[in-house]
Amino acid sequence: MQLHFAIGRAARRTSAALVSVALACAVHAAEPPKPSVVQEPHYGDTLFRFWQDQYFTAITGLMTSQHFNRVAQHADEAEVLRGGMLLSYGMHKEAGEIFAQLIERGAAPSVRDRAWFYLAKIRYQRGFIEQAEEAMARIENNLPLALQEERVLLQSQLLMARGDFAGAAQVLETLAKSSSAGLYARYNLGVALVRSGDLPRGIAMLDEVGKAPAPSEEFKALRDKANVALGFAALTDEKPEAARAFLERVRLSSMLSNKALLGFGWASSALKEHKRALVPWTELISGAPGRDAGDAAVLEARIAVAYAYAELGAYGQSLERYQDAIGAFDREHVALDESIGAIRKGKLLDGLLEKNPGEEMGWFWNIQELPEMPHASHLNQVLAQHEFQEAFKNWRDLRFLSKNLQGWADTLGIYNDMLSNRRQAYADRLPKVRDEAGKLNIAEATKRRDALASELDKAELDADHAAVADAVRRAQIERIADLQVLLQRAGTDPEVAAAADRVRRVAGALTWQLAQEFPDRLWNAKKALRSINMEIELAQARDAALAQAQRDEPARHEAFAQRIATLEGTIRALIPKVAAITNEQQGQVQELAVAELTRQKERLTAYITQARFAVAQLYDRAALARKPDEASK
Amino acid sequence: MSARIASLIASAIVLLHAAAWAADKPAATPAAPQPAVASPVSTTPAAAAPAASTPALGTATAAVSPAAAPGSLDSRIQDLKGDVIRLNRDLLVLEEELLFPSNTQVALFVSMDVGKMFELDSVQIKLDDKVVTNYLYTPMEVQALHRGGVQRVYLGNLKAGTHEIVAFFTGGGPHFRDYKRGATVKFDKGTDPKYIELRIKDSTGKLQPEFDVKIWQ
Repeated sequence: MQLHFAIGRAARRTSAALVSVALACAVHAAEPPKPSVVQEPHYGDTLFRFWQDQYFTAITGLMTSQHFNRVAQHADEAEVLRGGMLLSYGMHKEAGEIFAQLIERGAAPSVRDRAWFYLAKIRYQRGFIEQAEEAMARIENNLPLALQEERVLLQSQLLMARGDFAGAAQVLETLAKSSSAGLYARYNLGVALVRSGDLPRGIAMLDEVGKAPAPSEEFKALRDKANVALGFAALTDEKPEAARAFLERVRLSSMLSNKALLGFGWASSALKEHKRALVPWTELISGAPGRDAGDAAVLEARIAVAYAYAELGAYGQSLERYQDAIGAFDREHVALDESIGAIRKGKLLDGLLEKNPGEEMGWFWNIQELPEMPHASHLNQVLAQHEFQEAFKNWRDLRFLSKNLQGWADTLGIYNDMLSNRRQAYADRLPKVRDEAGKLNIAEATKRRDALASELDKAELDADHAAVADAVRRAQIERIADLQVLLQRAGTDPEVAAAADRVRRVAGALTWQLAQEFPDRLWNAKKALRSINMEIELAQARDAALAQAQRDEPARHEAFAQRIATLEGTIRALIPKVAAITNEQQGQVQELAVAELTRQKERLTAYITQARFAVAQLYDRAALARKPDEASK
Repeated sequence: MSARIASLIASAIVLLHAAAWAADKPAATPAAPQPAVASPVSTTPAAAAPAASTPALGTATAAVSPAAAPGSLDSRIQDLKGDVIRLNRDLLVLEEELLFPSNTQVALFVSMDVGKMFELDSVQIKLDDKVVTNYLYTPMEVQALHRGGVQRVYLGNLKAGTHEIVAFFTGGGPHFRDYKRGATVKFDKGTDPKYIELRIKDSTGKLQPEFDVKIWQ
């Protein structure tokens, strides 16, 4: 089932709303859904994977983003998306839990409705019809447009499961005739109606499908299928003319053309038009392309041709054909045994995998493509079985998981090496960093800073202008002090007295200057002290960080190493488990195929018996015919 | 004789046609498996043997399968798939924490809003004048972008400080002309992870594509 659907251009960035819609879309929605912008890029990345059918990458990436809380804005949508993708992997249990939790935690109505819908679907798939109906009843009117059709289909399936075919037909009436899913549903319903005995309605429904416009190969194949079904139903109902009309609609080169030709022949035969019956039957056994000798219809045609000759009175030809048929059946018997042997040797699964080498888990390829093996046409019936397809899908998923685990085992080995290198690099670098840090004597610097701060406080308190003077001023103060000492020693000469007076005046001017400059200098000094404080704090922080790193880094490395070891242990435990279950599943898949081929063998045995019996009767007839001749002689 | 042969053949035909004709819709993508079109159970009628035949048509109603019993192979496979998926989650978390710690992590994304004016072929991204990615798009990837996907095109590490991104987008522009345009942005990297989205938009006013950069906070 394709989940994709068309999205209007206006809503190209509308992923959040679309995803959940997309999950179950069997058809292409005509209208763009309600716009809603991606609010977190990691959610968008999940969508990017999802839209490419890379569900495994999408799921694991989404769960990683959920771990890092990177998709909180899309929490519920992300869960709906995850649940849907898990469902696609057949993980009903986990998907069911996700949807139940969404309902339990009171998600928004649109999310809740989708959760109920998926729960209904899961329950239906698991055979809990009543519970599925209950879940369906809880859905309100908030399903996205594209899911509405899915809802109708599920509703009809539930009704069919209850045997209420009339109800199912009524529900399906609401679906567009051109809808792909609707067409399938109508086909299934038509079949169900016929089987329930309501032939007129069943045939009417199948006839609708059989005449529906078929723009694609998929639709054409379904139309063929409906017409073949109608043809054989008419034959059963002893309406050979109607049967021929239905069977004539089937394409001559389709998958069902052999069955249609066979049926057409039987319809003619029923109308006593044996010559006309020979036309399609002869075509079937002609060996032309598409008329494989091992095909069930071709095999049946072999005895049908012989039967027609007998009916036309051509007993000799009839006998010859029966004997040919017996020979062909014997050869087919041998071929079936060879096929069974090849399947048991694993050639079927290997061949199928070779034809479909996918990179992801899931179901994205066409299983109808036959593998390269002898008598591959025997497998047509096998591959058509839903049970076989599901089993094969699981086997293929298990193979993917095995490769995934092996890949991680290798990667973790690399991470381990990387971690060892980091540890080594850390150990090499640490002494150098310690040396560098040791050169910075933070304690000494702090002591000096404290002394400076005390001096500054004292200078401010004492208004000691000289304490904050710069080098020029300090030189001037010293010169004046020196001059004053010299003048004191110089005696009492009037010139000395004049000089002393000048020095006194200069000293006064300097004191006045210093007093003027004091506030600025004090502010600058305090600013410088603050800067020193910051530098010291920074150095202390670096020192603390280094000390912390010395404690933490080894612990961090150790924590990583432990996590790697734990995960390696989990991988090691899972690898043989996956291998064992893969083998078990392989056995189951092969046995399904073998069982089908065994059924084919049983049919062949029955054919051989019929043919031999017919041959015996033809001989009896010949013998009886000779007796009167002999008597007359 | 012929009547007897006919009846014998008819019964043989019934056997031959025991194969099913269920209208199984090809299972293309499986996000929500279609139960309706599942296991075929039918017999096809033999044309010349009306007496022996029953309507032989594939049906959908047999799709309902019984719940997998605990311990059954199906149930064990489900559990195993769950285990491996959870393990992958743990491994991806480890990988990210080990290789791209949050304090240095930078992730670059590409998105496309509408994208009518531009058909994306490739993108080249330079981070601080060093090419970190050259990406060539497949049609499926372009379609995924059109549908609202956002591609994480690069995941790496950067030191704290100011950095520059230059992105070149190559593809087809309006009127089927080759188109190459760039977008540049400078950003500050702190100690939190940095997520940067390179966006391709349509400018309906100019009838040209537009390229801009969004820094996620």
